[in-house]
Amino acid sequence: MFVTNTEDIPGKRIVACHGVVSGSTVRAKHVGRDIMAGLKNIVGGELKGYTELLIDAREQAFERMQAQARQLGANAVVNVRFSTSSVAAGASEIYIYGTAVTVE
Amino acid sequence: MKYHAALPEHNDNVSDGHPLKEFLLLLGAAAGLLIALYLVLGFFVDYAVDYVSPETEVRIFAAAGMLWEPGGGPDTEQQQQSLQTLIDQLAICLDTAYPITLRIAESEQVNAFAVPGGTVVLNSGLLDKVRSENGVAFVLAHELAHFQNRDHLRSLGRSIVLLAMLAVLTGADADLSRVLAPISDYENAQFSQDRESAADATALRALNCHYGHVGGATELFEVIATPDDDFDFALTHYFSSHPEARQRVDDLRQLSESLGFDRANNVELRVP
Amino acid sequence: MLELYILLALLALGFFVGQYLEKQHYRSINARESELVDLVTTSSKHPFGDIPVIIDRRLVQGSVVVSVDYFKRMLAALRNFFGGNVRAYETLVDRARREAVLRLKESCPDAKQIINLRIETSSIFKGAKDQIGSVEVLAYATALYY
Repeated sequence: MFVTNTEDIPGKRIVACHGVVSGSTVRAKHVGRDIMAGLKNIVGGELKGYTELLIDAREQAFERMQAQARQLGANAVVNVRFSTSSVAAGASEIYIYGTAVTVE
Repeated sequence: MKYHAALPEHNDNVSDGHPLKEFLLLLGAAAGLLIALYLVLGFFVDYAVDYVSPETEVRIFAAAGMLWEPGGGPDTEQQQQSLQTLIDQLAICLDTAYPITLRIAESEQVNAFAVPGGTVVLNSGLLDKVRSENGVAFVLAHELAHFQNRDHLRSLGRSIVLLAMLAVLTGADADLSRVLAPISDYENAQFSQDRESAADATALRALNCHYGHVGGATELFEVIATPDDDFDFALTHYFSSHPEARQRVDDLRQLSESLGFDRANNVELRVP
Repeated sequence: MLELYILLALLALGFFVGQYLEKQHYRSINARESELVDLVTTSSKHPFGDIPVIIDRRLVQGSVVVSVDYFKRMLAALRNFFGGNVRAYETLVDRARREAVLRLKESCPDAKQIINLRIETSSIFKGAKDQIGSVEVLAYATALYY
């Protein structure tokens, strides 16, 4: 499936549009990562544990969006936008949305 | 270019699975983890307790503000004297680390306390209800057993350890503390009940050592066990600090049978 | 003991009433989505397809704040302990998003197309101590009339 954040797929022609599709996940960190992050807070720097956590969550949200596009019969998603927010203490939500289209 | 208006058949953004099942699973796992950790850390506490000297123990509890002596009026002087004698005699049959003083407190509640540092406090309410010397002796021996088993230190050590463990694991998450609080309450209650049963067993042996029989030992429990006990919700028994009164009577009966103690009924009436 | 009973009562209330309200909300969302499915909606910058002269173009928006029930809060707290997907909150954000977009569509009933749909999410916290899991979703787009 083609996924871009441009208006259309470069080199392809859009023949049909299926509306807006989206994928979201809410993921929580666990105690181990929390403790490591607490220690890292003392020296600063990248929190690798959290980075990995959000990368995994984003992949899953991406999958979900593509699955929804497939359900509607599309073969590409354009104009994709990402958004991250924290929903509650320690849980982050990744939201990806775009327009599902059929290209050829 | 066409627009295909359609809605997806199933919602990919929501996972399957019943939330109640997930809740019970997670709670069970958390409970298992906490209980296992508590047992392991409790083992270390017990090991450390053996290395704390009686003088250090007194200092610890003095610093914690847990030593106190209730005032007794002049009418209790004579009672106090005779009970002090009794406790001194019972102490021969037990192995407390330091001499124990007896105090009588003016209170209607049927209760007795072992105060860390070497004081046993009896409420006047208890003396009103328990009429035989043997019954009172059992109560005194039970409190002495707490000193012998160093239960105050064990309790304190475990509370500190449990608190620290929960603080590390839950962090600043108030919700998580609220959900896990019943588990820590349960652990504390179970430990407390274990120690009370152990003190009962030690007291029974002391009574047999002092009197040659264990008649009248369970008088206190028979006094405090009310018919309402039958209607208590099962939950309260898991969270209370002492085993149920009837349970204690049964346990003592079983123990005295297995040890061959004489449960004769020739109890001696106490000097008022 | 009393705290335990209160906790259990709140959990039960949150679970039963919360599940019921959520089902109702989903039913309403599904019904309204079916009604409005024919309204062309894209997140693209340009209008879709060939269109005649545009009469009007307007910035439209829809927003909603949705909160979780007590049971889901505790479930999420336990999840925080072990990590992984917080299923309890997935329905929360899903409902909020779809509701916001529906409100946007309902605010411009005569529009022919919705373009450049953007969605902003933020969470509302009562304070660091007692955090309420609630999420605010704002959906905004340009509505075209022709």
